[in-house]
Amino acid sequence: MARTLKIRAHEIDGQVIVKSVINHPMETGRRKVQKTGKKIPPHFIKEVIVSRNRRIVMEAFWGKSISRNPFLSFQIPGRKGDTITISWLDNRGNTDSASAKVR
Amino acid sequence: MKRRTLLKASLQLGITGLLFPGIAIGAYPTRAFLAKQIPDALREAFGTTDIGESSKIEIDAPHIASDANMVPVRIKSGFENTESISLVVSGNESPFTAYFRLYEAQSFVSTRIRMADTSDLLVIVKADGVLHTNKRPVRVGRNGCGAS
Repeated sequence: MARTLKIRAHEIDGQVIVKSVINHPMETGRRKVQKTGKKIPPHFIKEVIVSRNRRIVMEAFWGKSISRNPFLSFQIPGRKGDTITISWLDNRGNTDSASAKVR
Repeated sequence: MKRRTLLKASLQLGITGLLFPGIAIGAYPTRAFLAKQIPDALREAFGTTDIGESSKIEIDAPHIASDANMVPVRIKSGFENTESISLVVSGNESPFTAYFRLYEAQSFVSTRIRMADTSDLLVIVKADGVLHTNKRPVRVGRNGCGAS
């Protein structure tokens, strides 16, 4: 699978600011193919798990109302050199994960 | 340290995709996400609809959203020991939008959401076991199309 995750993390005064973008269509199940009028089945990320140095710091449950190519940003305590890992799981069971070092 | 073990186990399971990762620490609240009415969604997610308002929760979103499919929302909880942050969009067909469970000293999350119509954003924060809520109206431009 192509790379789906982009993560940037930097530290300011003991707080790590993480910004990430996941490449994902996030279909709601309500959009239709214009020509045929057939509905595009739902396909969206249900769960995102964030860990710092292999310990979970955040767990997000998402519904269909999250935008396409979801953007997620948050602040956690941490230091330079920490490893931030983000993994996601969608309603079709696809999953991906990626890591980045805090700068 | 039992909690940590559970967390670790659930993370490993999540990555291998063997089991639903949330299973040890609270599974995906499917019924809250499916609920069509806000009280139902709140009841499913938190077990109550009686939540006190608090101005300590800051919600940063545009007054008028130009693109209904990408409304940036930034949420800051002014409470110490914030355990979770939830986002509910009252105008959407399925109002319950996102639930963030926070395990460390965190108070800020930001993401982008879809809004079907001009409506209120509701944020529910759980801190020290107590629920707090705040809301903020967002107007959606005319090209807002039907996101659920």
